[in-house]
Amino acid sequence: METNTALKLNMQTPEKMEVCINISNLNVSFDTTHVLKDITLDFQKNKVNCIIGPSGGGKSTLLRSLNRMNDDAEKIKTSGTVNFNNQNILNGVKNLTQLRKDIGMVFQSPCVFPKSIVENVLFGIQQHKKLTKTEKKAITEKNLKAVALWPEVHNRLKDSGTSLSIGQQQRLCIARALAIAPKVLLMDEPTSSLDPIATRSIENLMEQLKEQYTVILVTHNIAQAKRISDHVFFICNGQLIESGAKNAFFNNPKKAQTISYLQDETCICR
Amino acid sequence: MKRNVKNIAFKSVIWTAALVSIVTLLFLISTLIWKGFGAITFDFIFSESKNFGSEGGIIYQIIGSLLLTLCAALISFPLALGVAIYKSEYIKKRSLQTITDTIVFSLNGIPSIIFGIFGLIFFVNVLHTGISWFVGSIILAIMILPTIILSSYQSIISIPISYRENAMALGMTQWQVIRTVIIPRSIDGAFTGLLLGLARAIGETAPIMFIATAFSGVTFPRSLVEPVSTLPTHILALAQQATNPQALENAWGSSLVLVTLVFMFSISALVRRIQYSKINY
Repeated sequence: METNTALKLNMQTPEKMEVCINISNLNVSFDTTHVLKDITLDFQKNKVNCIIGPSGGGKSTLLRSLNRMNDDAEKIKTSGTVNFNNQNILNGVKNLTQLRKDIGMVFQSPCVFPKSIVENVLFGIQQHKKLTKTEKKAITEKNLKAVALWPEVHNRLKDSGTSLSIGQQQRLCIARALAIAPKVLLMDEPTSSLDPIATRSIENLMEQLKEQYTVILVTHNIAQAKRISDHVFFICNGQLIESGAKNAFFNNPKKAQTISYLQDETCICR
Repeated sequence: MKRNVKNIAFKSVIWTAALVSIVTLLFLISTLIWKGFGAITFDFIFSESKNFGSEGGIIYQIIGSLLLTLCAALISFPLALGVAIYKSEYIKKRSLQTITDTIVFSLNGIPSIIFGIFGLIFFVNVLHTGISWFVGSIILAIMILPTIILSSYQSIISIPISYRENAMALGMTQWQVIRTVIIPRSIDGAFTGLLLGLARAIGETAPIMFIATAFSGVTFPRSLVEPVSTLPTHILALAQQATNPQALENAWGSSLVLVTLVFMFSISALVRRIQYSKINY
């Protein structure tokens, strides 16, 4: 009886929020340029977390801080904390391989290696563990199905990955990132080089992916954020201006900068 | 109208440049064939030389040249690729990059006779190796290092950054990125460098004449510290007997064989590159 009540209560709460990555006071600078200023935010688990904002505002730097892709940049200075899996990934994580296995990434333009489709899917995972033939087959099929590419390519898996269309290539890149079984998927403007149809298919894909993965998407396309985000973060000039659940953010923005940006995509922060 | 004149002028300059190069090359090759072809017989290629080369053939000179250059390739190729990878992937500081660049360029600028003298002093006199074909290979390997390094390095830095980033984002270690992305994508350029280096090495006389070769009485070496005879040093020896028409003809014949070997290197490297590109692209 008690369990039943608890269940009912649980269902009544609007939506259960679970934090996947917590960032506090993140500052990143390259040489003398202060790119991210005191960013504090939470990315929600199993949601599409959308980072929007004008170009050069620090969106990509924020995203790349999450899997430490900026580490090799010259004269980079980072402070603050980024907590994931009860660890500050900025200095607590020594094993970048494990971090990047947990937090996968898809880039702006699809980068397919000059290998076959199947070799592309297995490109990352093969470096982490030895796979049997059956496992290779299963992983390829599972991940190509996950990105809805399987029906299009299942009879030509040995063909070169570069023979695919740009939209298919981007889905192949997502399949490659999913094959290493990450918990979080970072997507840095993954549709900016795609045509509208390919863009829609990637967006639909994100909707499905969030059931299993936490998606953190950078986009400067406000319409796209409206279509697929669950939670929105507006970053401008290196600062987090405003954030919130999709409906609240778009229907009732609080800050003048946000209103201006949502109206005509101009930034009044600088 | 003015534009047209400029276009025509530019075109004719380019045509002239191309024509001059092609005609010079054709002239050299046809002279070689004209003068040398008469000497080429089965016996000439497959028998050993007698009487300081004025009689007999050049089989041991061919073997010596191939042995020296192939061994030089085996030594220098991995070394050069390693240097190029280290330079592109591990040296981050600009000042260190400039220093390594200067070192590589300086090594490339050293006249080949200096390598010969260095080999003579360091290996023969200090290490007491004696006249050794293997020392000759080491010297040739050092000599062609810069060519292979520069060509490999160029092809490594032309790999788009996105390849590295995508591989790193898949959790690969630096070594895995090097093994799966950097080396496969740059080996092509490294081979081109190797080909250029070998084509230079096989024709060199100065670096090896004091340390690795003997002018007569040489057969197949049975140890690392025996001399060989090579085509360039053989041609040198024959040219010194210019009053003997048979020696002179043999010199032309040997030159033709040498150029053919260089040509074969080029063709095999080209075939290798085509095969490689079929697999990967």
